[in-house]
Amino acid sequence: MRSDDLTDLTPAEREEFAALPRDAEPGRMLEERTVAALREHGLLGRRRRAWARPAPFLAAAAAAVALFVSGLAVGQWLGTRTVVASVASANHESALQMAAAVQRSGSAYVAALTALAQVSDSTNGPSVEQGREAALAALYAAVAELMVLAPDDPVTVALRDLFDRPAPTQGTAGQPEIRNVVWF
Amino acid sequence: MQPFRVPEAHTGVSEVTAAAAPTDRQLADRIVRDGDEAAFRALYRRHTPGLYRFALRLLGGNVFDAEDVVQQTWLKGVEGLPRFRWEAGLATWLHGIALNCCRASFRRKDSGWLAMDARREPLATPDMPHERIDLESALTRLPPGYRTVVVLHDVEGLTHEEIAEQLGVSANTSKSQLSRGRRMLRSMLTPPEGWKAEVQP
Repeated sequence: MRSDDLTDLTPAEREEFAALPRDAEPGRMLEERTVAALREHGLLGRRRRAWARPAPFLAAAAAAVALFVSGLAVGQWLGTRTVVASVASANHESALQMAAAVQRSGSAYVAALTALAQVSDSTNGPSVEQGREAALAALYAAVAELMVLAPDDPVTVALRDLFDRPAPTQGTAGQPEIRNVVWF
Repeated sequence: MQPFRVPEAHTGVSEVTAAAAPTDRQLADRIVRDGDEAAFRALYRRHTPGLYRFALRLLGGNVFDAEDVVQQTWLKGVEGLPRFRWEAGLATWLHGIALNCCRASFRRKDSGWLAMDARREPLATPDMPHERIDLESALTRLPPGYRTVVVLHDVEGLTHEEIAEQLGVSANTSKSQLSRGRRMLRSMLTPPEGWKAEVQP
């Protein structure tokens, strides 16, 4: 009890104030009403748990679904992109390797023919003839592949026309007409 | 600041039971963590009688409003428990909430409840001049503004500075209200001059 005002309490009045009861029992149903109100506000019981509070739970579920779907989409996109890039890269590398192989083997083919021509004298007649047949067979096979690879190319068309003709006749020098074709 | 100095007896934690009964903080933690209804009921039964009497006194004995204030106090209290820092006792904190709920109740009924109009009459006067009323009844008949300050100062033991902070008024206003409230109480509690009690056989 304070005594810092202008109209101080008398001792008797102080006793009266001090004797005032401090407790009182409310109606019996107040506790139940209060508990029910707390439950209704999600402050007691199962509502305190996240899954029982609709708004945050739904928001969390929606966020989880959105995250999953976006993750799936990004994953698929990255996966597809990787596969396409890998295939394209492999194809690109493979084509480059094949072109290089063609160039290498072509150069080797021409070099071999040049060497064969240099040794084509009378002493090596049978061997040169065998080499010439092998060179022609390779040429035939190469032209057949060229017809698949570049069917509209003018050189391919000319070669096809040439090879479709009847068997070549021996010229006066004993060389087939194919020798006049510049194919490489 | 601890405006409401609630005695230990009103916290329900006596020396005898302190060892066995969970403390306010333990119960509050269970409520916050698990929404534990049993913990809430224990806390409710411990503090509600004091809160109810406090609200009943401030609201001039209106039991319906007092019960409503107690329910609102628990709603706000449980909602605010996670933010309660335990620098003051739980009972003290709950009494502060109850006071704000009472003020809101006053405002709904009379926007000028704290006005210090000296011409304001008590809410009700004794039916007969010779009727003696006790202090509790006299308090209920004070205008809400006077009653609030008298209850906070003379019953709950708050200083004028604490009352000023709680009610958002100046300390001088609190002093003025207390002085006028006490005068009004005395006028109700003192029998009229010349009146003699007659004892019935």
